[in-house]
Amino acid sequence: MLRLPPFVVLQPETPEQAVAAWHPEAVYMAGGTDLLPNLKHGLGAPKQLISLNRLPRGGILIEAEQLVVCASTTLSELAQSKLVRGLAPPLARAASLVASPQIRNAGTLGGNILLDTRCLFYNQTAFWRRALGHCLKAEGDWCHVIGGPKTCVAAQSSDTVPVLLGLDASVELLGASGARVLALRDLFRFNGMDHLKLEPGELLTRVFIPRPAPGFRGTYEKLRVRDSIDFPQLGLAISGTWEGTTPKTLDIVVGAAGPIPKPIGKLEAFCGQELTDEGIEAIAELVRKGTRPNEAIHGDPAWRRQMSAVMTRRALTALRDA
Amino acid sequence: MKSLLRLNINGEPVELAAHPHWSLLEVLRYELGLTGSKQGCDKGDCGACTVLIDGKPKLACCTLAATVGDAQVTTIEGLADSDGPDPVQRAFDVTGALQCGFCQPGMILSAKALLRDHPEPSDAQIREALAGNLCRCTGYTKIFDAVRLAASQDRQVPIAYGEPAEGFIVLGSRGRKADSIGKATGEALYTDDLSLPRMAHGKILRSPHAHARILGVDTSKAAALPGVFAVMTGQDVPIPYCVIPWTPDETALCTDRVRYIGDGVAAVAAADEDTANAALDLIQVDYEVLPAAIEPAQALAPDAPILHELDWKGRPRKDNICKTVELEFGPVDDKLAQSVAVAEGTWHYEGSTHGPIEPHAALATWSQDGQLTIWSATQVPHYLHRELARVLELPQAKIRVIQPALGGAFGGKSEPFDLEFCAAVLARKAGRPVKFLYTREEVFYSHRGRHPMTMHFKVGCDTEGRVLAVDSDITIDGGAYHSFGMITTYYSGQLLTGPIDFQSYRFRSSRVYTNKPCCGPKRGHGSVQPRFAFEGALDEAAEQLGMDPIQIRRVNAIESGQETVNGQLIPSTGLLACLDSVERGSGWKERWGKLPLGRGLGVATSMYISGTAYPVYPNEMPQSGVQLQADRSGKITVFCGASDIGQGSDGMLAYIVAEETGVPPDDIVVVSSDTDLCPVDLGAYSSRVTFMCGTAAQEAARKLRTRIVDAVALHWQVPDAQVGVALGFVYDKDDRGRQLDIREALILAESRFGTLGATGGYRTRAVGAKYRGGTIGASPAYSTTAHVAEVAVDPETGVVRVEKVWAAHDCGRALNPQLVEGQIEGSVYMGYAEAIMEAHTFRTDGLHTGPNLLDYRMPTSAECPEFFASIIESLDPGGPYGAKEAGEGPLHPIIPAIANAIWDAVGVRVRRMPFTPERVLAAMKERS
Repeated sequence: MLRLPPFVVLQPETPEQAVAAWHPEAVYMAGGTDLLPNLKHGLGAPKQLISLNRLPRGGILIEAEQLVVCASTTLSELAQSKLVRGLAPPLARAASLVASPQIRNAGTLGGNILLDTRCLFYNQTAFWRRALGHCLKAEGDWCHVIGGPKTCVAAQSSDTVPVLLGLDASVELLGASGARVLALRDLFRFNGMDHLKLEPGELLTRVFIPRPAPGFRGTYEKLRVRDSIDFPQLGLAISGTWEGTTPKTLDIVVGAAGPIPKPIGKLEAFCGQELTDEGIEAIAELVRKGTRPNEAIHGDPAWRRQMSAVMTRRALTALRDA
Repeated sequence: MKSLLRLNINGEPVELAAHPHWSLLEVLRYELGLTGSKQGCDKGDCGACTVLIDGKPKLACCTLAATVGDAQVTTIEGLADSDGPDPVQRAFDVTGALQCGFCQPGMILSAKALLRDHPEPSDAQIREALAGNLCRCTGYTKIFDAVRLAASQDRQVPIAYGEPAEGFIVLGSRGRKADSIGKATGEALYTDDLSLPRMAHGKILRSPHAHARILGVDTSKAAALPGVFAVMTGQDVPIPYCVIPWTPDETALCTDRVRYIGDGVAAVAAADEDTANAALDLIQVDYEVLPAAIEPAQALAPDAPILHELDWKGRPRKDNICKTVELEFGPVDDKLAQSVAVAEGTWHYEGSTHGPIEPHAALATWSQDGQLTIWSATQVPHYLHRELARVLELPQAKIRVIQPALGGAFGGKSEPFDLEFCAAVLARKAGRPVKFLYTREEVFYSHRGRHPMTMHFKVGCDTEGRVLAVDSDITIDGGAYHSFGMITTYYSGQLLTGPIDFQSYRFRSSRVYTNKPCCGPKRGHGSVQPRFAFEGALDEAAEQLGMDPIQIRRVNAIESGQETVNGQLIPSTGLLACLDSVERGSGWKERWGKLPLGRGLGVATSMYISGTAYPVYPNEMPQSGVQLQADRSGKITVFCGASDIGQGSDGMLAYIVAEETGVPPDDIVVVSSDTDLCPVDLGAYSSRVTFMCGTAAQEAARKLRTRIVDAVALHWQVPDAQVGVALGFVYDKDDRGRQLDIREALILAESRFGTLGATGGYRTRAVGAKYRGGTIGASPAYSTTAHVAEVAVDPETGVVRVEKVWAAHDCGRALNPQLVEGQIEGSVYMGYAEAIMEAHTFRTDGLHTGPNLLDYRMPTSAECPEFFASIIESLDPGGPYGAKEAGEGPLHPIIPAIANAIWDAVGVRVRRMPFTPERVLAAMKERS
């Protein structure tokens, strides 16, 4: 079978020990459900693997009007948490739609937020990539998706990230010089090879989600071929506060359509008034215009773009009429 | 370096030394011998390695053993206790949920966790909980049944066989599969579960080029690497072979030229897999890259690079045409001219692969006196035996081929593969056993899957809907080698001539070599693709005539005893009953053509062979042999070369022997697919096993029965005819009170006649027509099938959801209806998967677009349709008890049934597979 590269496993007991153990040839592992397949593909060959499995598990709690989720919370726990389902239902829904039951039982929220970008030309075996002639993200100097040497457009593929952005989440990062809190929207950069603005060795420890205002309604819709296992071909997170059929705020974030999640702008114009069918249609068109999927992942980009509008219209209609 | 690991496995503390970079799966399987956890995909895409960690299902292949710590690990071996199997295991056993069994340890553990958290799960919860465990055999139907059954029982699930058919003592009852409890508990050993002392691990170096000349291979650095025991290249095995003996065009490893990305070039055997991989990296191959022909159009161009410079007779080749068949029966052009409705078009089938969850594996060892034993995940031990002898230049008597439990095949393991030859050669060179296990990627490169076909069809009908003529022109994309190519080419035309009868027919089929992995036989070999085209065209003709699609099929139904246009005799057919069944089941009359936009019903039919008339090499010997051994213990051992690949042929043999002898099936042991122990059977292909091995078993068992009856009759001093055989005893027909336990009867027989044994065989019967090719596609019997599919097509997204399928299949006598249903459900699943999502595709440079189970999507339990299988029994005069095939026929109609249902739903004809949302939406846009 495909083999993992040889490495030594470290199992620190505290986040501080983990950070202290880090060095450029080490890598953190939480659930391992994404890291280990990548290592089996020869994507990285760390000398040391710092397992986070022995770190204290902080669970999910309410603290100072925010939902605080320990990064080691598994996606299953997140999906089943009464607290999350009550306060941030789209997050529970997104977590429940990740991969398969087994992967959700191992994979963590922290891992899903930091999930590496994905590409059909990258997430393949070392043999396959050699036969291809390599790509910009690994070993090569050419992006096969856009046909150029400069930009890697591997797709942001996390299901939870678009939802968390809509919920205005922030993350706690622990580094050698201490902890900092970063708004999630400031974590990503448009570069599929290096899409996270993390300092070397920083460890994601907690996620803060402001308690949604009364009247919150939101959802997450995932486009995929199968109803299980698959990564998103497109993710659509909608969140807002509503009074009846009137949205007071509205946020839409599209996932899996490029190296970073795409927030859709200019939605204020639709807030503060009843959301009509025409309004929904106009928003769907805004989403379609703002969504530019590429061939890094499965599915015809033009169709996926069209689906962003259909998904938006259906989801918004359901939220309005809820 | 290894370090000490402490684990809690199945309630016991375990200490061992292991490498920190080994996954939990590798430690369980290869260090602790807990081989019930299976390896299917390498990396978290299939769920076969599912174990419970602190009660939660997780993937052992994506878990490091080093990080499991104090957690409690439960593997499949940990479920059974001193009271026997866990109720969930027993439920899987008795419902027929286990076919090949390879995915089931993981599936059962997922089910176990579900039932702990939700003792009365809804159907939706069952589907969701199992949605990370791919099953390739069952279509999940009987697995759902098993989970529901386990949930409904407070205690152990009882073993019940149910009632046999009228006039039988065993046959017709819903028996367990002989091997299923072993598969449910992890006891069954598959090839990669075996290991031998001093065993080395083999790996094959593969070509990164689609087409290149090999200028040189330097293996010296690899050979010098510590831990490497032996290295080989194509020069070690230069004798070409093929499963069809007169078309040898491939060698175990390439000698002078590579023909696809993934073609094998060299191989090594080393102390462990890491060392073997490192050795491959040290092998230097000098290639001269050649232009490649990836698509048939490129291969057929005047200036195309020629893939094979010589044909199999050593003559120079001028083109890339592997085989062309042109046959014409009746006045096709005249009849087309007379037709009032003519449906014409071009259909495309994109290619698909078998995807058994078990990757190919082989283990070889040599005895000191030169005897080779090879265990292989093959479905044709006999053909492997022959080709090993040819390539290794050994007498067949010096080779023993054993097929252990097999984790799915579907035609993908029906010829020799490079790893079997390499294991044998390297084991000889290294002087130690050598095992190979393909990575999932290698399974995709070995392929032999369903051929891409471009099919131009013209179907003409008269005003009553009678088909007057069929004209087809088919280009078959064969990939790099021949495989069963000439048979495929014939099958693409020869197997279309029923159950819809037509009396003029022309087909021209051409199989073309291309620089891609070689295509071969996948369930419904060669005939699934043209069936899609033909049944689509037939629907279009019905539409032109304003006819009900079921009616047009009734009008044209072939009758029992009729001969097809190409000269095949159809001894029995139950097509009309199949059509009635699916018409009734689906509510067709009330619903077809009347459902709201986006919802539709579609019908299609098909016919399939029960074995091929002739073996792949002509001979006068039986195609299948059975040998029985019985004695005073009351047990019968059945020896047969047949390959149980999950379909249940071992059970079938046991039921037949039980039916004839009165020995209960649970007291019958079947020893199969071992060339040293068993009489020859040609293998599990062409749906031949029940028909042929069943006939052989019937003959042998009847001889044994005669011995038993004779002995008892002499003992009772009554005529033979007065002795009846029932399940477990014999009785006096005139004095029902007089009975004798079957064991006592065997003792009488052994006392009277000495050592008990009997043989039986299936001999080739002369069928088919006299013209060249007239025996290809000729079979002693044919099954018929009709399906209705119900689909929901989203007019805005193009997404097609197949919700329900009614599948009626005429298998003749259903020897075990539960297993027949399993074959129907599994076939429908596999065709549904091809229709909706599976596409075995390549980049323009010949590189596979995604050789793994994440990019090549196989349906999960979450979206799999509901299947309603119904069995039609039109007894065949030639089959054992009237039985015919059930394993391949029911795949054919599902694809056109779905296509025709899409038409009913949204008014578009989809002619290119798979029916992706993009395509369906584009077709709808084009129409409007």
